[in-house]
Amino acid sequence: MNIAFYILAAVTLLGAALAVSLRNLVHCLLALVLFFVGVAGHFFLLRADFLGAVQILIYIGAVAVLILFAIMLTRNVSGTEGGGNSLGGAWWFGAGITAALAALATAAVRRSSLAATLSSPVTEQGIVKTMGRLLVTDWVVPLEIMAVLLTAALIGAVVVALEEDRKS
Amino acid sequence: MDAIFQLLQNSGAPMPEWLALALAILLPIVIVMGLFLTVFAFLTWVERKALGRIQNRRGPNRVGPVGLFQPVADGLKLLIKEDIVPGAADRVVHFLAPVLVVVPAFLVLTVVPVAKGFVPVDLNIGVLFALAVSTASVLAVFMAGWASRNKFSLLGAMRGVAQVVSYEVPMVLAAVVVLMAAGTLSSIGIVEAQRGWCGWFVCKPWGLVAFVIFQTCAMAEVARTPFDLPEAESEIVAGYHTEYSGFKFALFQMGEYVAAITMGGVTVTLFLGGYLGPGCDLPRIGWLVSAGWFFAKLGLVVVINIWARGTWPRVRVDQLLAFAWKVLLPLSLINIPAMALWYFLPNRLIGWIASAALLAVALVGLTRLNAGRAFEKRSYRFIS
Repeated sequence: MNIAFYILAAVTLLGAALAVSLRNLVHCLLALVLFFVGVAGHFFLLRADFLGAVQILIYIGAVAVLILFAIMLTRNVSGTEGGGNSLGGAWWFGAGITAALAALATAAVRRSSLAATLSSPVTEQGIVKTMGRLLVTDWVVPLEIMAVLLTAALIGAVVVALEEDRKS
Repeated sequence: MDAIFQLLQNSGAPMPEWLALALAILLPIVIVMGLFLTVFAFLTWVERKALGRIQNRRGPNRVGPVGLFQPVADGLKLLIKEDIVPGAADRVVHFLAPVLVVVPAFLVLTVVPVAKGFVPVDLNIGVLFALAVSTASVLAVFMAGWASRNKFSLLGAMRGVAQVVSYEVPMVLAAVVVLMAAGTLSSIGIVEAQRGWCGWFVCKPWGLVAFVIFQTCAMAEVARTPFDLPEAESEIVAGYHTEYSGFKFALFQMGEYVAAITMGGVTVTLFLGGYLGPGCDLPRIGWLVSAGWFFAKLGLVVVINIWARGTWPRVRVDQLLAFAWKVLLPLSLINIPAMALWYFLPNRLIGWIASAALLAVALVGLTRLNAGRAFEKRSYRFIS
């Protein structure tokens, strides 16, 4: 258990570090995928199978592929031209923001009542069933708003694409 | 896995706990890998024989009786062949791609129940895991195409990515009705929910439609012949694995075949009752009979795959994508209310008829709407 955790943590951190430090955009993407795999592994290790599977399905199956298409539409994928990182010497600025964000998130997690409510052992089947039920009862309004938002984004994308088609 | 551990602990054999644990972990892996690699090797032989029959020739018949040892010869030949990496290729990614293409195919096997009481890992979300992992192979395809620094490779890879992303959507939606009927995501739970006379989900109207959609999408996802655009040899040499030779090429072939087998296994689990069949509950030999049923059904699905490959021409890219978005996606969406009708109407017979009627209307409507449009002549924007 512990050994698995340390290996996974190392893989995850390595992926994250490589994703921001490599020059070639495609290599960055692959490092990011490694990071996603590590996070999914952590979920499986914590017996949150559902979250692990969703992590793979959405982040590797969809988000990574989306980034891939974006990369294919950009120039200078290999990172050989141009003047490198636009932040320049101000990397410590980004590091500060990251540290502050991490501190904030840690504090928020420690304060929240989530830890107390989740401490009771529930089977994974229970989590999937409970979550599904909550989504269509208590949280139905946020769910619907999200659905409408996504649909709007989809229609917007189609409209943008059609516009280009008409011009040509 | 836990069951094997229990068995080893209780068998009375003098064995330390760590050894029992290691055995319990390794045994299912060895059984599953060995079994499916053997099936894979002989599937290549079956496929070449069947295709030969369809094309009015004999197929492999030189090595061993009726060419039965052809896979061994092929494997040896590919192993000792020179491995060539293009000079401009991205060496690391080029090397990693064939390794990674095999991994998702085998990972899906961890949740497919091969026999009664034998599933390597009984995840509570088994089906979701299988669907999620099987889509990860798309990254390996892209890595191969991109790292080769070859235009044909990259074209093939981008085709593969677009295809898998499009067909994943109707595939998951087709699986949803099964999850609704079974009320669980566990693969064993789904198989057990199909007990009884005509209990297999394929015997219901919504199940039949979902089965056809799922099987089509599974074929598209593993890029087999009506949908083998990523490696269309008449257009882009060999697609994403143009620049691969020797055993790396063999790994791509293996990934494709093993993925075809494992997706067939998922189809059997979801729609054809998995290991269920007469005699699967017999006290002593039940596991053997049920394994026999599972592999018989798997063989049927695989033969349907080969048959489709031998008889259908390859589709065009626009036809492929139009078919996914304009036919399969709406149909799989309508399939969900059809399943709800069947489930909630008080009388099973009325529900059966209502759901079948809804699906028939949807099918006719979709064909009418798409008539002459889904497969219209392609206009090329970037050619003057």
